[in-house]
Amino acid sequence: MAQQKKGPVFAIFFCQQLDARQDINRRCLEKEFGSHIRFFPIPCSGRIEPLHLLKAIESGADMAYLLTCGEGDCRYGEGNIRAKKRVNYAQGLIEEIGLERKRIVLISKKIDAPVSIDILVREAIAGNDMLPIQWNGHNLQVDD
Amino acid sequence: MITAERKPITEIEAMLNPFRRILVVGCGTCVAECAAGGEKEVALLSSALRMDARLKGRKIEVGEVTIDRQCVYEFINELTGFVDHYDAILSLGCGAGVQAVAGLFPKMPVLPGLNTKFIGETKETGLWIENCRACGDCKLGYFAGVCPLTRCAKGLLNGPCGGSKNGVCETNPDTPCAWQMIIDRLEGRGQIDLLQTIFPPVDWSKYEGKGPRKIEREDQRSGS
Ligand code: SF4
Ligand code: SF4
Repeated sequence: MAQQKKGPVFAIFFCQQLDARQDINRRCLEKEFGSHIRFFPIPCSGRIEPLHLLKAIESGADMAYLLTCGEGDCRYGEGNIRAKKRVNYAQGLIEEIGLERKRIVLISKKIDAPVSIDILVREAIAGNDMLPIQWNGHNLQVDD
Repeated sequence: MITAERKPITEIEAMLNPFRRILVVGCGTCVAECAAGGEKEVALLSSALRMDARLKGRKIEVGEVTIDRQCVYEFINELTGFVDHYDAILSLGCGAGVQAVAGLFPKMPVLPGLNTKFIGETKETGLWIENCRACGDCKLGYFAGVCPLTRCAKGLLNGPCGGSKNGVCETNPDTPCAWQMIIDRLEGRGQIDLLQTIFPPVDWSKYEGKGPRKIEREDQRSGS
């Protein structure tokens, strides 16, 4: 993920059931945002784990989004309900370390018409008012 | 199984503050089942700790490992050598696990990342209930497999108390009345006469008051 960043870096987790043309539709965003956007398709939003969201932030994202279908629309039953609870858990955890909850965002989209992932993501990014995270240092390797 | 919950990050952070290389050790058995200290939770907490340190400008290194059981020497011994690189261990085992790990590595600070809660059962996904207080004198055979010491709010062996309403405990409407369960089950089995027995007060000497309890089984021990 981008290290020399001007604006925030976005990690977009999305349910693959949302948009049949997802690969084409996300490509224009990938071209436009370059290393500032990274997509993570998941077969059902219920497969998301808080760890995915935390790892995204730890490895450079300033915002992590999860795009799901609306409640009642999940083709596997209650994937998006589970997803909501896990997002909530991850938000609580980043809040405990002093990051804002709203760096992890759940976007549920009622599927009453074909959904285009690039439109959804553009709307989400347009609504973002968070700046890049101000890290105060690096961990990983400790010198003796 | 033993159930536990993660401590707040601020408390964990305060314990870890003097150390720079930290090994987070999970336990793949009880605390993995209750989603507090298994491999996933080790990864999640480690990630949070690394980010926490970065936000505060602290340099730390967080290693992750999960062993099958933290309360059994053979499994803890897998950490031998591996732990030497670290300044402290954050154990995500139950209290027994923390102590067993600390026992094997007496020079290493071994800190608890969890609060151990109770012996319980996974009632449904994400719900664990206490159902045994380890009294040392199990009487479940008389009570249709429902422990009144643990699951009756008043711990009555000669219940019910008379305060239960519509099958729930008068002290807490979220708690099913253990005695209602006992009676329903015994009636269903045609064994209600088991309740003719009057139980004397519990002999708590089997439970506490003489230091840690132990079980010794000669047939299970090695050596002569
Ligand atoms: S250390 Fe505790 S949690 Fe882990 S297996 Fe042993 S009793 Fe269960
Ligand atoms: S009587 Fe209850 S507390 Fe005692 S061992 Fe049996 S289940 Fe556990």
